[in-house]
Amino acid sequence: MYNERFKNNTMKNESKNINRRKFLGVGVLAGITVAGAGAIFSSCKKEITNEALGLPPILKGAPKGRKLRAGLVGCGNRGTGAAINFISAGPDLEIIALADVFQDKVDGCRERFAGFKMPIPAENCFTGFDAYKKLMAIPEIDVVILATPPQFRPEHFLEAVTNKKHVFLEKPVCVDPVGARLMIATAKKAEALGLCVVTGTQRRHQEDYIETYKQVANGAIGKLTSAKAFWNQEHVWFRTREEGWNDMEYMIRNWNNFCWLCGDHILDTHVHNIDVINWFMGKYPEKAVGYGGRARRVTGDQYDFFSIDFDYGNGVSSHSMCRQVDSCANGTGEIINGTEGYTNCVNTIWNLDGTVKWQFEYPKDENGNPMNQLKIPAYVQEHMHLVYAIRTGKYVNEAERTALSTLTAIMGRTAAYTGQQVTWDAIMKSDMDLGPTKIEFGPVDMVFETPVPGTPVNV
Amino acid sequence: MNIKDFINRAKNRSKSKIWIMTFGALLGLAILATLNTVSSYTSTDKYCMSCHVHPWAEETWKLSSHHNNRTGVTIHCVECHLPPQGEGYLLAKVKHGAKDVYGKLFKDSAKINWEAKKMLENAKGFTYEASCIKCHQNLFPVTLSVNGSNAHLAYINTKEDPKPNCINCHLNVGHFDKNVKHEHNTNFGVDAAASKELFTAATKVDKFANFTEKIPGTTVAFDMVAIPEGTFNMGSSDDEQLRKPDEGPVRKVKLSKFWMGKVEVSWNEYLAFFQATGSQGRTEGQVIKNKNVDAITGPTPPWGAPDQGWGKGSKPAITMSWRAANTYCQWLTKVTGKKYRLPTEAEWEYACRGNTTTPYFFKGDPKQFTSKGIFKKIFGRDTTTISSYIVYTENSFSKTKDPLEMKENPFGLKNMAGNVAEFCSDYYAPDTYSKRRREIINPIGPQSGQEHVIRGGSFKSDAKDVRSAARDFTKTKAWLVTDPQMPKSVWWYSDCIDNGFRVVCEADSVQ
Repeated sequence: MYNERFKNNTMKNESKNINRRKFLGVGVLAGITVAGAGAIFSSCKKEITNEALGLPPILKGAPKGRKLRAGLVGCGNRGTGAAINFISAGPDLEIIALADVFQDKVDGCRERFAGFKMPIPAENCFTGFDAYKKLMAIPEIDVVILATPPQFRPEHFLEAVTNKKHVFLEKPVCVDPVGARLMIATAKKAEALGLCVVTGTQRRHQEDYIETYKQVANGAIGKLTSAKAFWNQEHVWFRTREEGWNDMEYMIRNWNNFCWLCGDHILDTHVHNIDVINWFMGKYPEKAVGYGGRARRVTGDQYDFFSIDFDYGNGVSSHSMCRQVDSCANGTGEIINGTEGYTNCVNTIWNLDGTVKWQFEYPKDENGNPMNQLKIPAYVQEHMHLVYAIRTGKYVNEAERTALSTLTAIMGRTAAYTGQQVTWDAIMKSDMDLGPTKIEFGPVDMVFETPVPGTPVNV
Repeated sequence: MNIKDFINRAKNRSKSKIWIMTFGALLGLAILATLNTVSSYTSTDKYCMSCHVHPWAEETWKLSSHHNNRTGVTIHCVECHLPPQGEGYLLAKVKHGAKDVYGKLFKDSAKINWEAKKMLENAKGFTYEASCIKCHQNLFPVTLSVNGSNAHLAYINTKEDPKPNCINCHLNVGHFDKNVKHEHNTNFGVDAAASKELFTAATKVDKFANFTEKIPGTTVAFDMVAIPEGTFNMGSSDDEQLRKPDEGPVRKVKLSKFWMGKVEVSWNEYLAFFQATGSQGRTEGQVIKNKNVDAITGPTPPWGAPDQGWGKGSKPAITMSWRAANTYCQWLTKVTGKKYRLPTEAEWEYACRGNTTTPYFFKGDPKQFTSKGIFKKIFGRDTTTISSYIVYTENSFSKTKDPLEMKENPFGLKNMAGNVAEFCSDYYAPDTYSKRRREIINPIGPQSGQEHVIRGGSFKSDAKDVRSAARDFTKTKAWLVTDPQMPKSVWWYSDCIDNGFRVVCEADSVQ
């Protein structure tokens, strides 16, 4: 399209009968035009269009460049996984320090890396609630990977930016509005310092999602009219309290089941789907009404299921549902409906009559058959993007938008917990601050009642 | 017509034109160079201060963070008091320059109300936000505190009016003011005198006459004036000077008797409430819904100095929210056993008029007293009468006054008009009076609404806005625009310094 338009312009100019002086001018102009068209044409398949739409580059690997040393804060499953994803993203990437509240988590992660012949020095391994501060004080560290329970993310992020580190943030990035605002403000501080931030909302780094997004952004399904987002799965892990664990240790080891640490599963997992809807809609919902409840859980204070109506204004709503109960109609994904068709956001666009309009072409396996997934997992792709941004100077900072999608989930959670309608304005300004005032091992003076919506009628 | 001739003639003409044009260009350059020199010279601190001789300008600038700071960078007068170059710099320079020259030639510096000029609304007129932002490009420096971050987030996220301006929060950064505190004032009101004897009981009242109420458990007492029942014409007629449409149509209102505070609620009175009910460290926005709880929850600690550093004592209390004033009345009711509340709008106007039907409760016309209009400004006018009754823009020096200094109205009340504007219990609506026009008894305002009526005007008001019939209303959003808390305070207005209240006591709650 660009090519055609520029070619026409140049042709018109050249076909005119012109004198010498004019010719010079036109020549230069034409030169610039051709060069400009060339630049746009040669790269319009990838970077320019992606950049113009605010999309990340799709990379086969992070580019070469100066060695980047990273420290990992939060050495559990996802943290260790993220650290391995980081070193797999490209050349000259190292993990040189670990921090976790628990010694056994640090030891487990350190063993994994020793197994890869990438030993992490003992003096760079820290434990306790202030371990992250000690890790971030190491001057050699360029990048920190933050993968603790989300309760701690905002203060860790602030400490990282204060110490001038590039950051990888696992999602969700907070559990309450106070944390969300701290994330947003810290994101702006990082931007002012030129520190890159990538978040673990991996769908935004997946080529199939990105290509589908481009189709939708170019009008493939017309105007967006409604959406559905769902993360319905079987029950998730929990820890039974062991002898010798104090309240705080028990809760942190079982963090996935306490709202003040996890934010409930509408944040922990469903935020992925919510983030996709926000991304495709190009905005955040104005208000939420919803409900949820608890029927099967045996630990913690969270809900089993949520069903939220996110109102994006002008009659556009997204039905958001998430559930963690065994033997139910389970599945995860997103659907967005438009005036001219609908999409599953990941790889297919349908016409209104149900016929397929467009499909993403997945790479082929060794036998030449199309695979049903991408060659490079999105978990690694997002780290490639971070390293690419740091090494090429193509700045990236995803913290604010992920904070806002987390806040969207918090708005939905609050709507379900209270039974009230919650507006974007109210949740943005809310002083809700979950968790104890002091984070330390020992007994915790908190009441863990499962929220009950509505106020009973006074008799 | 011969085209060649025409072209040749044009060529000859253009030769001589070249000389003229060259000369013109050189002359232009010379003028520009001179203007530039003049402009530069007249933009030096020294030049500014040759006129701006008021003592505090240079002194407070040198003490401020724009002169005295770690970086060693000095910010000069015009860098804040003019817009950036290319953004209306010259135009603003001419405008302010003309004003300054006029002031220098025709005005007596000692008589200028410098205190008023320092206040926020006025400072906005000669401090340019674009100039703040030209230097302060990073609103999120890594050293910014969490509170600061929240405030700056609110600043950049506020897209509609009332938008905060940089100097809403940073008013004194260019000229130091030792009275301004930029912090949570947790000691506010704690240091009141303790040596006096505390009242053990409220005043016992057995007949409808003036009395002095004593607040039990405190040393605080205040006067209540008995206002007889009566009928009056509420509002202003079409022929009243400088009236506004919401003051009409005039309606006949009958009121029962009541007591009214002789003066506006003082800091002494308000602090008694603050100390008894205020909860240190409680967060904003916690609403106690259960009405059966008999403890009254009072204000959170304020930000900065609610009294603006003007002193407390018997000066009227200011900056509390309508809700706080209303809660004060509930508390006073509880501790005295008499039914106290905010006045209705009708009660307020009846009490203010004191059986007069004129624009003011003393002799004089609004046009005679107003300072609006160029001739009034130049030639002045006799304001002796109004100045003895009302604290308003002409005599207030932009501060509240102690009620002792003012004369009473016919009912024996002080500062009904002026000093501080006063909350009423009614919601405001511009068409309240046209809703019911026949004689009405003890009217209250609309059933619901957003903002409440305020009456009487304040020390900031022009003479036209302290007329007995003049109406106004609270502006909750604008009055909280710089409150950095989320959610904003429900107890204190961050951006309103000229509002207070007065209590009434219901007559039948006593006898």
